[in-house]
Amino acid sequence: MADRTDQGDAATTRPRFAHESEAEFARLLDFYGIRWEYEPRSFPLQRDDQGRVVESFNPDFYLPEIDLYIELTTLKQSLVTKKNRKLRRLRELYPNIRVKIFYGRDYRSLLLKYGLAKAAARTPSV
Amino acid sequence: MALADDIARVLFTEVQIQDRIRTMAAQISRDYAATAPLLVSVLKGALYFMADLSRAITIPITVDFMAITSYGDETASTGAVRLIKDLDEKITERHVLLVEDIIDTGLTADYLLRTLRARDPASLNICTLLDKAARRIVDTLPIQYRGFEVPDEFVVGYGLDHRQLYRNLPFIGVLKPEVIAAAR
Repeated sequence: MADRTDQGDAATTRPRFAHESEAEFARLLDFYGIRWEYEPRSFPLQRDDQGRVVESFNPDFYLPEIDLYIELTTLKQSLVTKKNRKLRRLRELYPNIRVKIFYGRDYRSLLLKYGLAKAAARTPSV
Repeated sequence: MALADDIARVLFTEVQIQDRIRTMAAQISRDYAATAPLLVSVLKGALYFMADLSRAITIPITVDFMAITSYGDETASTGAVRLIKDLDEKITERHVLLVEDIIDTGLTADYLLRTLRARDPASLNICTLLDKAARRIVDTLPIQYRGFEVPDEFVVGYGLDHRQLYRNLPFIGVLKPEVIAAAR
């Protein structure tokens, strides 16, 4: 689990990323001068009878200059299905939030575009 | 072995590309009729597109070129984009059209736009031959002219490369997965 109290961008202390794929993505954004924050916000999706949050969605990145949340999913298909359900719920509850999800295949092709074949090979298949 | 043998399927033939470019050039010639725009292209991917597009435009234009390091390049050791070649022309108060071979994440185009905007052009728009919207991260780009939408596959040819090869194919095609895998 990442330390979600950390936020980062090119100019500040880097957070502890949960996965190497997230660190690679942060380096990519830094390279092109795109400001980012790591897991800056948790969106409650479900509460119990006492109003306590029992399910939430925490997008990996927020890009403030383009007001876009990004979720990287390099997980197994069974977990992707669960994440897709959460994403649908997020869009229902927060229709004004812009969020984009990168699946394993998307992310591998992104890495290949930049010639990072070894990193792409390390990214799990879905 | 011929270069084309590495192509799984052709997406756009030479004829289709040239037809589309003529249409785009006609639009640009109309839209910029009173302005004599500066076409700025990014090396090396947009090389052929710039050559064909500029020759199909019927109004006075000037052309210039930029080159930048790309993420993952062996030359990109600083952790940030670096201009390898800057423009020769001044663009202040000029109408600039950024000519791209492909826009996918939009990260490169966004960087170039920021760089060019800082020089106060009169206008700044994008003309791209290919648009891979499925992989877009920066989705606020001013894409005024768009040749073809492409699926999220590894496309090469007509300037687009894989490890610097395949640029000289006259068509645009999808690279065979085994070719990409062999390069790992």
